[in-house]
Amino acid sequence: MAKGRVSVCCLLLFLMMSLLTGCWDRRELEERTSVIAIGIDMVEGKKNMYKLTVQIPIPIKIAGSSGQGGGGNKDAVKIMSVTGKTVVDASNNLQQRLNQRIFLGHTRVLAISEEVARRGIDDIIDAFRRDPQIRRLMWPVIVQGKASDLLEMKPGLIQIPVVFLMDLIENGTKMGIIPDQTMGEYLIQTSNETMQPMLNYVKAYKDDVKWKGVAVFRGQKMVGSLNDIQTWPLLQLRDEKRGGDVVVPLPGTKGGYVAFRPHFVTTKLKMNGSHAAGQKHHNGHAVTYFCEVQGDIVEMTQKPQGSPEEVIRMLQKLFKEEMEKRARKMLDILQNQYNSDILKLGLALRGHHYNDYWRHHNWFKDFKEFPIDVKYTVKLRRLGMEMH
Amino acid sequence: MGQLGKDPQHNTFSLWQMTSIITSTLIGVGILTLPRTTTEKMLEAGWLAPILGSIFAFFVIWLIAVLSRRFPGLTFIQYSPIVWGGHEHSRLGFWLSLPWILIFIGVLFVSTAITSRIFGEVVVTAVLQDTPLEVIIVSMFVLAVFLCLHELDTLARVNEILFPLILFPVLFIAFASFQKAEWNNILPLIRVPLKTAIMGSFETSYSFHGYEIMLIFFAFAHGDTGKVKAGFYGIGISVFVYTLIVLAGIVVFGYEELQKVTWPTLELVKTTQVPGLILERLESAFLAVWVAAVFTTVANGYYALIYSLRQLLKKGMLFQRIASIVLVIPLFFVAIRPQNIVEIFNVTTFLGYTTVWISVVSPLIHWLIMLYRDRGRRTEKRSDAHG
Repeated sequence: MAKGRVSVCCLLLFLMMSLLTGCWDRRELEERTSVIAIGIDMVEGKKNMYKLTVQIPIPIKIAGSSGQGGGGNKDAVKIMSVTGKTVVDASNNLQQRLNQRIFLGHTRVLAISEEVARRGIDDIIDAFRRDPQIRRLMWPVIVQGKASDLLEMKPGLIQIPVVFLMDLIENGTKMGIIPDQTMGEYLIQTSNETMQPMLNYVKAYKDDVKWKGVAVFRGQKMVGSLNDIQTWPLLQLRDEKRGGDVVVPLPGTKGGYVAFRPHFVTTKLKMNGSHAAGQKHHNGHAVTYFCEVQGDIVEMTQKPQGSPEEVIRMLQKLFKEEMEKRARKMLDILQNQYNSDILKLGLALRGHHYNDYWRHHNWFKDFKEFPIDVKYTVKLRRLGMEMH
Repeated sequence: MGQLGKDPQHNTFSLWQMTSIITSTLIGVGILTLPRTTTEKMLEAGWLAPILGSIFAFFVIWLIAVLSRRFPGLTFIQYSPIVWGGHEHSRLGFWLSLPWILIFIGVLFVSTAITSRIFGEVVVTAVLQDTPLEVIIVSMFVLAVFLCLHELDTLARVNEILFPLILFPVLFIAFASFQKAEWNNILPLIRVPLKTAIMGSFETSYSFHGYEIMLIFFAFAHGDTGKVKAGFYGIGISVFVYTLIVLAGIVVFGYEELQKVTWPTLELVKTTQVPGLILERLESAFLAVWVAAVFTTVANGYYALIYSLRQLLKKGMLFQRIASIVLVIPLFFVAIRPQNIVEIFNVTTFLGYTTVWISVVSPLIHWLIMLYRDRGRRTEKRSDAHG
């Protein structure tokens, strides 16, 4: 009896001891270096060397900001640059200059310079794909000019500069004027044969940053960009997002402008072409995007002539034509200049016309010849707080 | 004969307990790789694979239930000699049944080891990067051994309690990820040739392996009712969960991207955001719950293994306890034998094939022989009546 009790005690002690081992490799928050943004540039003068720039927030500076006051945002982050043959090589070089271990789990922005993007970024992305710490929800962006400029900007409004960019993109996607292009989306678009990837395209200034549209890729190489006005029809056709305001000169006035703000966008893709098997060629395969936009007038700098009914009819026609023109321009650039399907049109075609179209065509090449048309329907709902 | 099975304390498994044993054994490490393995051959139609592949599983669980109904209160280990040798030639029956029993035990052994190895791999790559793999595997085994120290009714209750914990997170992830769905990804519905589709579904059917432990556990059903029903419920729930998770994977990622990621379901969890950003980075939480799913798979398999050995050697509870502790050592070495992730997946594929064959062929042969014997006995009786 006593013997049994002793052994039970020993067993219990052993079990309790094993519980204590739970956190043997723990790391406190301040014991690791959280990188919040990574920038990738080419090294000038050297061909196959990358320059990796990282932005590291300094926790003490941020936490104490409310108490100490002042201080400014100059010291809230540390910016470091290293070079290396690959991303991992460069980050190893970075580790040798840091006292704590690098932690990429909080990285929110990956800035890639246009020069790198035009060379192709498949070798860079691979490292990020393998690393389990990397979030699929992080934002890769293409920077016009140098990526390190983006990390070194000082917006002043916010302590950590990159959070400024992140908020800008996040709020933009919520408003529907910036595409929701996360790392995960990019990875999906690169592996899917039916579509080409795109990424947000920004330009860094000394104390802020501007979203300039999207960078269009073909394969994993950047081939060009769309500006903001060309990106909005893309958002409307592809994602049914609202896009930005449309500002056009008001006809019949001198120097007057009218601004239209889309609110709800519904897009229907109508695909023509026979389903019959055995037919080899196009056979009238074509698509038409029917896009219905509901929205308000938010600005009218001069009053147009005519009764309200006529004015509304006139404005609807005006915006319909303007938006169709913009969408056709966008399609023209994508098809004839870049030959890159970032519309996800190929996915729909493969899904619905696999046997009669997809099997006989190489979408990567044939996208540019595919007939695409756009029809907008504009429905003016409100005129704001002012009548007329 | 079969005193163990007749022990009244054992015959306590309710319908719900049996259902949860089956489902929680099936849902284990496979759920993390399923979207990739199903779309490998079937492309967009991968979500059909679990449905088609389950036909096998339904058939086999029905066979197992029928066998168990024919020998109420007896496990496979006990009735296999009777099937082979009848009541008259028990020695012959024992030797004829031995290969089947040993294969059964062997497959359980290897699959339990590999399951815990995959579990370790996932934990090491995704959460605890500095923890040695061995520690994770051993701690899983310790839990399994701890369960083996107890009687069967404990096992049933543990499964019953963990069942919702296994089911709901997976369902939640699947439904939550549908908000990012791109439904064109599952079109065209069928483009692969029929032969490929059948092959693909057949390969998926190994994700259902694990139900063969019911060769043992059906013996302890309460009364004699509901075995077929429990089997069908158990597999039905798994099919539903599997189909849903594969569908979610396809519509979110597309089959091409699925081929490129090692743990698609984990990536699915990573991309899932609950609206309003209340919950981000769900993967740690998901993995924490997923431990329960793996535990039930490993522990149920190990329990079935130990219990089979105990019955084979006609020993008691003490033997079960000692054996469960001793056998962990070889189990551990089997688990750490594959060198890398590619080798592990090769082993699981191989194991999948063999399990499908063994779990189909073995009950089928037993059933056929049983039918033959029963018919023989009936004609015998009839001729007796004539005479």
